[in-house]
Amino acid sequence: MAAGGPDPLFGLRNSFYLGAYQAAINNSDIPNLSADDAVERDSIVYRSYIALGSYQLVINEIDSSAATPLQAVKLLALYLSNPANKEMTISSLQEWLGDPAIGNNPILRLIAGIIFMHEQDYNEALKHTNAGGTMDLHALNVQIFLKMHRSDYAEKQLRIMQQIDEDHTLTQLANAWLNLAVGGSKIQEAYLIFQDFSEKYQMTSLILNGKAVCCMHMGTFDEAESLLLEALNKDAKDPETLANLVVCSLHLGKPSSRYLSQLTLSHPDHILVKRAKTAEESFDRAVQTNA
Amino acid sequence: MLTKFETKSNRVKGLSFHSKRPWILASLHSGVIQLWDYRMGTLIDRFDEHDGPVRGVHFHKSQPLFVSGGIEFSGVTSETSVYNLLSYDLAVDSMGIDLIVEEHTLPSYEDSKACKIRDDYKIKVWNYKLHRCLVTILVHLDYIRTVQFHHEYPWIVSASDDQTIRVWNWQSRTCISVLTGHNHYVMCASFHPKEDLVVSASLDQTVRVWDIGALRKKTVSPADDILRLSQMNSDFFGGVDAVVKYVLEGHDRGVNWASFHPTLPLIVSGADDRQVKIWRMNDTKAWEVDTLRGHMNNVSCVLFHARQDIIVSNSEDKSIRVWDATKRTGLQTFRREHDRFWILSAHPEMSLLAAGHDSGMIVFKLERERPAFCVSADSLFYVKDRFLRVYEYSTQKDTQLIPIRRPGSNSLNQGPRTVSFSPTENAVLVCSDIDGGSYEIYVIPKDSYGRGDTVQEAKRGIGGSAVFVARNRFAVLEKSTNQVLVKNLKNEIVKKSILPIATDAIFYAGTGNLLCRAEDRVVIFDLQQRIVLGDLLTSFVRYIVWSQDMESVALLSKHSIIIADKKLVHRCTLHETIRVKSGAWDDNGVFIYTTLTHIKYCLPNGDNGIIKTLEVPVYITKIYGNTIFCLDRDGKNRPIIIDSTEYVFKLSLLRKRYDQVMSMIRNSELCGQAMIAYLQQKGFPQVALYFVKDERTRFNLALESGNIEKALESAKKIDEKDHWYRLGVEALRQGNVGIVEYAYQRTKNFERLSFHYLITGNVDKLSKMMKIAEVKNDVMGQFHDALYLGDVQERVKILENAGHLPLAYITASVHGLHDIANRLAVELGDNVPSLPEGKRASLLMPPSPVLCAGDWPLLMVGKGIFEGGLDNTGRSAEEDYEEAADADWGEALDIGEVENMQNGDISMVLGEEDVHVETEEGGWDLEDLDLPPDADTPKTAPNARSSVFIAPNPGMPVRQIWVQKSSLAAEHAAAGNYDTAMRLLNRQLGIKNFSPLRPLFMDLHMGSHTYLRASPLAPVISVAVERGWSESASPNVRGPPALVFNFSQLEEKLSSGYKSTTSGKFSEALRHFVVILQTIPFIVVETRREVDEVKELIIIVKEYVLGLQMELKRKELTDNPVRQQELAAYFTHCKLQLPHRRLALLNAMSICFKAQNLSTAAHFARELLETNPTAETQAKKARQVLQAAERNMRDVTPLNYDFRNPFVICGSTYTPIYRGQRDVTCPYCSTHFVPSQQGELCMVCDLAEVGADASGLLCSPLQIR
Repeated sequence: MAAGGPDPLFGLRNSFYLGAYQAAINNSDIPNLSADDAVERDSIVYRSYIALGSYQLVINEIDSSAATPLQAVKLLALYLSNPANKEMTISSLQEWLGDPAIGNNPILRLIAGIIFMHEQDYNEALKHTNAGGTMDLHALNVQIFLKMHRSDYAEKQLRIMQQIDEDHTLTQLANAWLNLAVGGSKIQEAYLIFQDFSEKYQMTSLILNGKAVCCMHMGTFDEAESLLLEALNKDAKDPETLANLVVCSLHLGKPSSRYLSQLTLSHPDHILVKRAKTAEESFDRAVQTNA
Repeated sequence: MLTKFETKSNRVKGLSFHSKRPWILASLHSGVIQLWDYRMGTLIDRFDEHDGPVRGVHFHKSQPLFVSGGIEFSGVTSETSVYNLLSYDLAVDSMGIDLIVEEHTLPSYEDSKACKIRDDYKIKVWNYKLHRCLVTILVHLDYIRTVQFHHEYPWIVSASDDQTIRVWNWQSRTCISVLTGHNHYVMCASFHPKEDLVVSASLDQTVRVWDIGALRKKTVSPADDILRLSQMNSDFFGGVDAVVKYVLEGHDRGVNWASFHPTLPLIVSGADDRQVKIWRMNDTKAWEVDTLRGHMNNVSCVLFHARQDIIVSNSEDKSIRVWDATKRTGLQTFRREHDRFWILSAHPEMSLLAAGHDSGMIVFKLERERPAFCVSADSLFYVKDRFLRVYEYSTQKDTQLIPIRRPGSNSLNQGPRTVSFSPTENAVLVCSDIDGGSYEIYVIPKDSYGRGDTVQEAKRGIGGSAVFVARNRFAVLEKSTNQVLVKNLKNEIVKKSILPIATDAIFYAGTGNLLCRAEDRVVIFDLQQRIVLGDLLTSFVRYIVWSQDMESVALLSKHSIIIADKKLVHRCTLHETIRVKSGAWDDNGVFIYTTLTHIKYCLPNGDNGIIKTLEVPVYITKIYGNTIFCLDRDGKNRPIIIDSTEYVFKLSLLRKRYDQVMSMIRNSELCGQAMIAYLQQKGFPQVALYFVKDERTRFNLALESGNIEKALESAKKIDEKDHWYRLGVEALRQGNVGIVEYAYQRTKNFERLSFHYLITGNVDKLSKMMKIAEVKNDVMGQFHDALYLGDVQERVKILENAGHLPLAYITASVHGLHDIANRLAVELGDNVPSLPEGKRASLLMPPSPVLCAGDWPLLMVGKGIFEGGLDNTGRSAEEDYEEAADADWGEALDIGEVENMQNGDISMVLGEEDVHVETEEGGWDLEDLDLPPDADTPKTAPNARSSVFIAPNPGMPVRQIWVQKSSLAAEHAAAGNYDTAMRLLNRQLGIKNFSPLRPLFMDLHMGSHTYLRASPLAPVISVAVERGWSESASPNVRGPPALVFNFSQLEEKLSSGYKSTTSGKFSEALRHFVVILQTIPFIVVETRREVDEVKELIIIVKEYVLGLQMELKRKELTDNPVRQQELAAYFTHCKLQLPHRRLALLNAMSICFKAQNLSTAAHFARELLETNPTAETQAKKARQVLQAAERNMRDVTPLNYDFRNPFVICGSTYTPIYRGQRDVTCPYCSTHFVPSQQGELCMVCDLAEVGADASGLLCSPLQIR
């Protein structure tokens, strides 16, 4: 992926990483792909479908004869589609990971990392992802370390990514995540990274949200709001856009309840909704103890 | 050497630049003088009256003249036949004054002229406009080597092989001085550009400087010259007007050329000893300074460059050499294969040089004059001298930024070629041709604009061209391997990539993309994907200009411009005969460019035109509306205002923005044949119509656009048959009957008119036509009309009158007019014609038309925007102003009740004591990390990877850090630690009731984190937002959480509370104030002053809350007038804003007055008057109350209100607590309560417990330290 000829999947990958899932799906018809690339392409397309919420499509289309990476993607779709499936998927995931023939497949490991992240079992996630191997895995590592509030480890991962390909979209993105997490003057650099993306590629709500988050961290909530509203125009249901709009509106002293209820309706398990729920509970508890 | 123009011809011996026009004169060995336009590359004219070599030629500085010195044959000596004698000019020019006719005896110099003919050596003065020789002066005894006009006087200096230098007055055609002294051929002589000096060079191995100061005095008036004519001969040898000032000896062989420095007292000379010598002079002496050695053969010409510190010499060794004038070292050598160089000439104003050689001449420049620049947002970065400068367009401020490395002076043309700027990193790439192409990176320090003279240690590298491709990446072209190297700002290679085509230059093409230029094409190359995004065949592209939105690009070649889009899809191509220099996009997508001579525009569809003529070339950098910003060759920024009307107009037409077109037509004078032709050609005759004043054109345009009314107007004014006819045709086509009729009438075309009436069924008019025809004696017409009308009698009459009696008879009898028929039969006698049998005749009557008169029905055509819109010249819309009615607060209130008292001191119980943060109390300690012991050991690793990897322990979340650092309730709430937040509030402010604060707690917590989607499908990252971000904040140091409430929001709320109060919306106002009161516990401010302001705000708001609560309570108590009066009275004791206090007083006054408590009412009236009410109605009312009360100073009902005794109001019972009585206060809002309220919830703030212990408000980190 690093050197050599042009990467036929470059555009597809970029669209996927930058959150242009529909574009990734629409532009997936790439001629003359090698067998490996075709599997890779399919895995990206199916992951895009998952990102768009079409779990069932993925589950139906991938049959048992498909390659391991696609099976792994199907597993993720199963995991995300229904909470009831969780235990079953995790156990089959463990089984596959234990199989020396396929256990080392990078996409399987990636999916494992993602699923264990959802389970908030970061140690387990890291067990499968830490060895790296693909940019996706490294990027996921950065994210896991950030989740664990270990930006020092995240930075080490980033260094590895930079050594492989400093200009890779994921490297840049991971750099932005880290910059945002460590804060301070780095926020500006994160902003510039998103700015670069917005100049180079089509605007996606992911890029707009990235810029908006940077703006909010820099205290320019007005600018953040206009970016977020632009993102809302692109995708009125994007959970991050809504969540960030809630935050932004609060800081601007504007009503935020509509965004919150929209988010609660469409994504009841979003972290902001969960946070709000636990906040209510802890308020009640605190009132009782302080009464 | 940058060759601009070359000619092929006979040997060129003399050259002269025109000072203003792009012209050069070349005089040839063959005797022809050529006048070239070196820009267009065309031969403008040739002058061939000379017969032999013309060595000297010179343009006059200001008049359309030039002088040449040559020969005309007037006789032949024996053996010669080198020249064509047929062109031999017999007569001595009648205008010339035949001064000396003498056979020369001097030895010849050039081999080719070993055999001399008897020639006349003449100077001719030409007028190139008239293409005529004005003056011919027969002057010298031998070949004339050089001629030159004086810059001021009508003088010519000439140098000749006859060993003399002569100064002539070309107006009077007299020789005014002969400078003798040289004892061999004088090879050149020239005036000093400013002083009264002449320098000459001779084969006698000397250079001489002559003082001609005396000459000037001598020739005050030309009349003198004529008087002096006789004296001339005596002056001839040894005249005293011009004396030798210095004789410069040093050359070992004959000197071919000497010339002055344009400004310094220096002379440079070149000689057959192959040396160039520099001489310096002062008032008293002159001496040799240095010798430049290097030429391999005779140096034929040498001069100082006017604008640079260099000397240029040429030689018979077939080379031109450039020397550094101060270091006196050779800089560069240009060689030709076969041609010896003979002459050099410098342009008087521009940096152009010309050199003549054996087979023609070349016009050239030594160095590029285009300043290296790049535009970034509002700034222009450019290099001038050895500094990088910035020019801000908006302020027109020009600042010197940093010095850059001076190019090594050991060769020419090494100055910066391009500049590339990265605004975010403030870094500049300067590329030049040093070392065959290299670049340097400079980082502009943000604070030291314009300071410092030391060149910073720049990072350098070799490469064809270098350009930023991203904020912190630049690409360098490595020509040898045809690779591009992507480097970071540390000049480290990040990536290498082979280019798809053999590239000789790279340009920016959007982030991460490069535009690569090859000889015959350009491609856009994506550096990351290594694919070609676009490809276009072009001529050799020199510069590229991107539009601001990066959607369009202009590729500038020498003589063409190609406009393409960002994928290099071709849009249009323009060709220019004159060299294209620069360009920029304006905001409307018009490309404005300059050629050597013009500023021009190019519309998106390829239409182009001239905006302005230029005198000197400029380089456009940016366009703002009507202002074009340019850099000139001296590196000066020049804003040029242009009239953009024409192209904006055309653009509007193109984009179909007719409203703009219309307003432009209305407001500006756009007229001109070109514009009309353009409009017609582009299919807008209806628009063109509005430009034209000339009626004929107008008429044509109106017909073309089918505008009959306008055509009619014009036709009336023109009133010519042909126009009426054409109008008629068009009107008929459109079915505009009225105008058809009118047109026929005007052209007196009766046949057509009659037929027209027939067709339209207009019988009345038709019969009129018949009458007219009768009057005009037009029998045929009359008959036709009668026929059309079906008027048989008339027809018979006409036929009869015309003498066609048989016809008349037949007509009459056929139509049954028997009387007439009989009469006619009698007249005809025997000749009665027989009628055909068996046929029934019937009268043809014109059918009556469906629609008589009026035009034919036309389709409704939406009136074009130009019609109507243009006719009524802009009527500005009237605007309606409505005056907003102000609600009157006082009037709207019904008030009634009084009592009297003085404002009690409300002691602020805001604690100043330090807050003790007891460690054992913080609940957060419980959240200590529970580190999972050996998290990963127990699992048996299926793969090698996890057996070595040990997952790190999770770090501390930011919110936990916040909690540890802070004792501000708001920050704890933001972190989600409600329990500790509540404890803090309780301890600091005695707050017991948290339920009103619930939404605030929620908001604070919600606003503390943002959400970032990271890897696709993985859970989002939430990122803690910190307060008070600044650019210089160091990463990894956690700041306090950003809070969703701030002080300024409260101030806004306060003013809206005031506003609601003013307009009497008390419950709304109360809501505002309560919100403020409840938000304040969560406010965090940064300065001491703000802390005080927050504390003041509590008091202000608390007073309002209390007052408004009482007022609302009062409104409920409609059945208790006493209590009503009391509450109204207490309200006046709340500390309100003055206008509100006035209203409260007014209120209380009127209530008490109504309740007949006149004394109390009077008290309020007095109080009110003391506030100097601004509203006259208030004052008037108060005075009236006062007057009424004075008559009857007593109260009907006693009130619990003594205004003489200071009191505070209980926040719960709304009773006065007079000074000295016991009370308790709210620990937060400091409202007073009667002692019985101890332990109850404060009614005002609804938060704190009355009388509870509290440490006081903590609203700033400052208070803790």
